[in-house]
Amino acid sequence: MKCFAVLQLSGCAGCEVALLNAEAWVEAYKLVYMPLVVSAEDVPEVDVLLISGGVRTDEDLYKLRRAVKNAQQVVAVGTCAISGGVANLGDRDEVRSLFLAERDRPHVPRLLPKSHPVDTFVAVDLYVPGCPPTSELFMAVLTNPHDFQASKVVCQECGRQKLRDVKPAHLLGFQQGEVLPDVCLINQGYLCIGSSTRGGCRAPCPRAGHPCVGCRGPSDVFIEKESTAWFTSIKRVFATMTNVPEAEIEQGLRSPQLALFLFQFSDYADNKTVAGDHQPRPKEKVL
Amino acid sequence: MTTLTFPLSRIEGHARVVVDVRDGIVQSAKFQATEFRGFEHLVKGAPAEQMPVLVPRICGVCSTAHHVASVKALEDAYGVTPPPLALTIRELLMLGQLLQNQATSLFIFTMPDRLGVDSIFEVGEVGLDGDALAGVAARALRVRQAGTHLITLAGGQFIHPVKAVVGGVTGGIAVAAAAAMRAELADALPVACALFDTYWAYSVALSERLGTWGDDVPACYLTAVSGTRPNYYGDFIRLMGCEGGDMCAQFPAREYRAFLTVGDAEYSYAAQTSYKGNVLRANSLARANLVDSLGTPCANEYLQRFHREFGQPAHAILLFDLARGIELVYAIERAIEILSESLDGAETRLPYEPRDGEGYGLVEAPRGPLIHHYRIENGLIAQAEFVIPTVHNVLAIERALRVAAERYITPDRVNLELERAVGRVVRAFDPCIACATH
Repeated sequence: MKCFAVLQLSGCAGCEVALLNAEAWVEAYKLVYMPLVVSAEDVPEVDVLLISGGVRTDEDLYKLRRAVKNAQQVVAVGTCAISGGVANLGDRDEVRSLFLAERDRPHVPRLLPKSHPVDTFVAVDLYVPGCPPTSELFMAVLTNPHDFQASKVVCQECGRQKLRDVKPAHLLGFQQGEVLPDVCLINQGYLCIGSSTRGGCRAPCPRAGHPCVGCRGPSDVFIEKESTAWFTSIKRVFATMTNVPEAEIEQGLRSPQLALFLFQFSDYADNKTVAGDHQPRPKEKVL
Repeated sequence: MTTLTFPLSRIEGHARVVVDVRDGIVQSAKFQATEFRGFEHLVKGAPAEQMPVLVPRICGVCSTAHHVASVKALEDAYGVTPPPLALTIRELLMLGQLLQNQATSLFIFTMPDRLGVDSIFEVGEVGLDGDALAGVAARALRVRQAGTHLITLAGGQFIHPVKAVVGGVTGGIAVAAAAAMRAELADALPVACALFDTYWAYSVALSERLGTWGDDVPACYLTAVSGTRPNYYGDFIRLMGCEGGDMCAQFPAREYRAFLTVGDAEYSYAAQTSYKGNVLRANSLARANLVDSLGTPCANEYLQRFHREFGQPAHAILLFDLARGIELVYAIERAIEILSESLDGAETRLPYEPRDGEGYGLVEAPRGPLIHHYRIENGLIAQAEFVIPTVHNVLAIERALRVAAERYITPDRVNLELERAVGRVVRAFDPCIACATH
């Protein structure tokens, strides 16, 4: 029976909960380490090590370095493990100084200056973006990632109808307006970026009437390019489908709710690899 | 001085217990939260209207509670009241959270303590598989999955919901989807009851083996639900004094500072709350003590049995776990009731005008009352404050840990049962460290 472990660094446990939602692994895999559900001291030898959360404290770093030694395959799951995640919104001067001044406590793990992606410190074999990745994606990781079938982008999984003649003049804002059930959210004036966000989640958010915020990261077309390529593509979609001024789109894309995810594969986060170079993560390694 | 450190597992997040002993006398028992991300700092400057999508990331276990509290805080600031259908769907969302959380805490976190295993997933392997325990992990996951499906139906996304928006919800629930969900919950109900009966029986056996349900002196209790058919959507916070009986305070979220003192500890990234110097308790036992009737058949029968056997208010630590099981049954029954109503009406949200000011949002999360408080300037968050249920329980956890430590540490030896007792005590409070430190 294949053995796997889940190393939880600084995160919200949403990835772990998503794994628990996928019950099918229970009969086929042995879960040997995952502090949320198993009492075990340390990560033993495993076939697969899933890592969730960013590296926020010196304890995270210590656990990470110890754990990967025992793993055949290392998988970074979720936005935090890939980019530092939501905690990386604190990577601003005024916030850093607050952290370092107020939160220096004698008996708890020391905070690093910022939340780091896992691959700043160790080599990663597979990246599974999503905040969190769906249960289906977790199952794909444990079975055969290369067999996973998904659309290229969220847009193709959404099922909403694009209308050619409905062109909004301004964005509605994330919380405003009535959502028509079957019509494309862009037609309705929402800053939905599902048109170039990586598919595979089956589009739960736009289906429920909320614009895609891009938590799965860029599709294969953009994943090895700089984030400006993704930006430009999104702006082009809105230029074609709406009359919204470009500055408005730009401002929306750079607001925290989207920036958090839009930059997850860019060097806005610290994606220096173990080898010390600044290569993008190859698309073959991203599920 | 000897320092005993106990790492913790089967709870949400990173924490440990540190007990200091001198000459066989317990000097202190500390509950240390060892992670910190700094949400109150990092949301500063974010557009206020993005909070409902940002704050669920505080915690993937309690994300629904943060999502709803956030929307309520913004509605308070903007002066908008959502239509009744939206409130019903949000209540359903909170029930999904309750169902998922109580199933997780009961079967995945604490059941192993009753069975003497490291995880629920190894019950079959170690040959414990009697009739009552056959396929226990799969059944437990099935029950908690009904909660996940309910969250997805009412909240859109499966972990970090998106469907509650300022002024209402993005849409209703179609008749067919509601019927399918009802059927799934109806199937889950007997499975949940059977698992809970087994859990209750094993808990009685545990208490007999230990000779205690985990006695501790009475505490004050804090919750945002009461009455019959309690609504976890939250309105007022209620505080029950140590002696029970009459409530000693009832207040809206915006007045919480007049009643609760929030302190800081240098040995932990989590704060701690108290009431006029008294230890507080929130979570399931607080609700079981303040709610007289649940109003749904199975859950109410369990609650009456609970009150009959343990009194009201009840104080023993392991009763937190039993109370959680009662709520698991309630969440399923109540959700079936709500899903039988018409939820596909047209009026799901009202228009609103954003404005600057202050807002408070209160919900009863599975772990107790949760408050989000925002100050908005120029449409941006100038200050955010998250008053977290686990923080209300920190002093109670430490007091209970001290009781356990004093029970198992004598001048000549430390009984190894202490390590298990520490785990049981902490898990009874079902703390959430990602939330507590945020």
